[in-house]
Amino acid sequence: MDTEVGAVAPKDDAPLLSLRGIAKFFGPVNALEDVSFDIYPGRVHGLVGENGAGKSTLVKIITGLEQPNAGTVILDGAAVQFGNPIEARENGVAAVYQDPKLFPHLTVAENIAMGAYPRTAIGSVNRRAMEDNARRLLARLGSELDVRALVAGLSVAEHQFIEIARALAYDLKLLILDEPTSALTPSEAERLFAVVRQLRDHGTAVVLITHRLEEIELMSDDITVLRDRRHIATLPARAFTRDKLVQMMVGRPLESLFTAPTHRQIGREVLSVSNLGLAGVFSDISFTLRAGEVVGMGGLVGAGRSEIAKTVFGITPPTAGEVCLDGSVIAPKSPRQMLAAGLAYLPEDRDRDGLVMAETITHNITLPILKRLSRLSVIDRGRERTTAATAAETYRVRMASIEAAVASLSGGNRQKVAFAKWLGTNPKALILDEPTHGIDIGSKAQVHEMIAQLADQGLAVLVISSDLPELLAVSDRILVIAEGALVAEIPRAEASQEKVMAAAAQKVERKRA
Amino acid sequence: MTTQAPAPTGSSRSLMQFALRLREAGVLVFLIVLGLTFTLLSPQFLTVQNLTVVASSASILAIAACAQAIVLFTKNLDVSVGSIMGMVAYLTADYAANHPGITPVELVVIPLVIGGGLGCINGLLVALGKVPALIATLGTMSLYRGATYIYAHGQEVTSSRLPHWMLSSVDARLAGFPVIVLVAAVIVALVGWWLSAFPLGRRIYAVGSNQVAAWFFGLRTERVIVFAYVACGFLCGVAGLLYAARVGTVTVVLATGWEMSSLAAAVIGGVSVSGGSGTVVGAALGAVVLATIDNGLVLMGVPEFWRMFIQGCAIVAAVAVDAMIATGIRRSLGRQRRG
Repeated sequence: MDTEVGAVAPKDDAPLLSLRGIAKFFGPVNALEDVSFDIYPGRVHGLVGENGAGKSTLVKIITGLEQPNAGTVILDGAAVQFGNPIEARENGVAAVYQDPKLFPHLTVAENIAMGAYPRTAIGSVNRRAMEDNARRLLARLGSELDVRALVAGLSVAEHQFIEIARALAYDLKLLILDEPTSALTPSEAERLFAVVRQLRDHGTAVVLITHRLEEIELMSDDITVLRDRRHIATLPARAFTRDKLVQMMVGRPLESLFTAPTHRQIGREVLSVSNLGLAGVFSDISFTLRAGEVVGMGGLVGAGRSEIAKTVFGITPPTAGEVCLDGSVIAPKSPRQMLAAGLAYLPEDRDRDGLVMAETITHNITLPILKRLSRLSVIDRGRERTTAATAAETYRVRMASIEAAVASLSGGNRQKVAFAKWLGTNPKALILDEPTHGIDIGSKAQVHEMIAQLADQGLAVLVISSDLPELLAVSDRILVIAEGALVAEIPRAEASQEKVMAAAAQKVERKRA
Repeated sequence: MTTQAPAPTGSSRSLMQFALRLREAGVLVFLIVLGLTFTLLSPQFLTVQNLTVVASSASILAIAACAQAIVLFTKNLDVSVGSIMGMVAYLTADYAANHPGITPVELVVIPLVIGGGLGCINGLLVALGKVPALIATLGTMSLYRGATYIYAHGQEVTSSRLPHWMLSSVDARLAGFPVIVLVAAVIVALVGWWLSAFPLGRRIYAVGSNQVAAWFFGLRTERVIVFAYVACGFLCGVAGLLYAARVGTVTVVLATGWEMSSLAAAVIGGVSVSGGSGTVVGAALGAVVLATIDNGLVLMGVPEFWRMFIQGCAIVAAVAVDAMIATGIRRSLGRQRRG
């Protein structure tokens, strides 16, 4: 790993916050490995990395939401370990998260003052002081929200400003903004950045996490790149060009385990989606899937990919557009209807949405096809067992017995059971949402192989993945979604990680629903 | 500068604010309509004497509903309310019967301590033991009631063994008002004020309003929940004591079924079962609604078995309204998330 820390002469000031060898793992899964860098007062520090690079975990460690398994956080020269975000805030460290986390039943002023209520002589909340204070803080952000209004029903942008006002209520040394502009209009974002500059000029350190590289370029004095949960580089912003930044974010070598797709026979159109929209989430999505073709769908987390898949599958019916499956036009209304029409969908969170964990492998595999396995509504146990056993063998599920509970399997094997389950319905088109999320590298290769085999058998497959190498390895064609819009369609021959990343991170003219 | 982003939709926003803020007003309107109906149907309804009866019979339930509401605000519930009241009532009455010289201070402190302690057990099970509130308190409901049976050996405490002042004080009147009504009104007002004006009170609402937000904010959710259960137990202690004094003869089955009545009163009074919303004043009004229905049906000579049916209708209607509001809020929060 080409770590370039210390490549630049240190700043004049002492760092405000230093991270030294921070590591965090959840069970056997590493969330962060040996991350060390410094954050200086009066500077904006851009933090970039792909989905899952470890940015959010790092923020949680700094604010005391998670405790690191190794390493130290040094604030103002002293090692600190905050037990919770309240302690962090009392020490001048506050974070504003991507989805604002507010209390809908309380008023704007109560949300801002939460945890540090001004008190009266008898210890009750001093409402006047609280409301004046909230008004003053919101005014700094150029917002004239009614501080007595309840938060329920306010817009996302308003939520965001309330969160930021809450952070400003403390004597801030370090403000962390995690994707602060993802829900803001350009003019709102500009107002936010004006406040950030003002804070910076007063000596506050600001950590800015955003997928929009132009914002990083515009705002940052220093930039840290994380990739694969590791620290890659921390350099002054002027040392980066856009290309260099993108390359550092994605620049891992392709795992050799990934199979390159064979040149397949691509057949007729199986699924075509035209002008599909879901109010407020995505709009005007059109694409086609052909028999024997694997189409990748890339984009950042939150771009709306899973929502598109769920809409096509009828879980959340669309508000615009239509779906044409195997020649017939269908308005997706329910998964049952789409399944019957020949579409299958493997959700991202298979443990929650895709499988019945406590049930046996057999029961999971045969659940969608019980009707076919029964005679006069009575399930033919023998046929059920043989069908399940055949399927489990086909998809190479490693298990103690076909009667074992799905919960006892590893992530990769659970995914194979999910495959077996949905492919038992004999679909014509298949949507896979993050099919290798959270499974080990060996099973990952098997899943890729399986995808290739399915396409070879003439299935049309849509693979949603945040893993760029995976997307490049399995897809014949890549669709890129950004902020609810289809922004690029890249044929396999022209696809590169940089190209997909650049398309995914672009700013889309925001359309408000 | 008015560059504020447009709200999701102007009307749904103001509707939600309106719905959340004016639930108690809604209960009040319902109560007035109910009162007018009974007045038209029965001449005895709108008399000072009858209204005093309604208020007296509502007052203990109002305190129990208030207790239930505090726990509901945190998005939990307590189905051991009736058992706590029963245990408090029995132990206190038994103590009073065996200690004829008991002072009024002792008589108040004992139920508070027992009630608070039993509430604390519930709170620890739910907050630290991470047992779902329904299961945990279903367990303690039987446990507390069972313990009372064991202790009592099937004996009841008759009114003749209780100090006379204990029984007479609840039936006393102050400036024409029954003391028990005044006590309930003062308790509800104090608890309501405490919840709305003190930081801990606001935190009780915050925890139930959005648990994810509470975690990200760093609120010590467990402590807040334990505290809510202790407060609930405390108020059940008061309710149990008043109940014992009112009926005079204390049996082991005292206040059986009150967990449901308290829940019904709170929900009818606009306390949301999905947490974070409602007031104890609303819960108390819910208790008055239930008492009014009871009283009105008796005056009209409606058979007893209709009572439960009509009460059920009121509960279902209240829960439906609550569910509609809760869905609206969830949708407005969900709008932020894409991913």
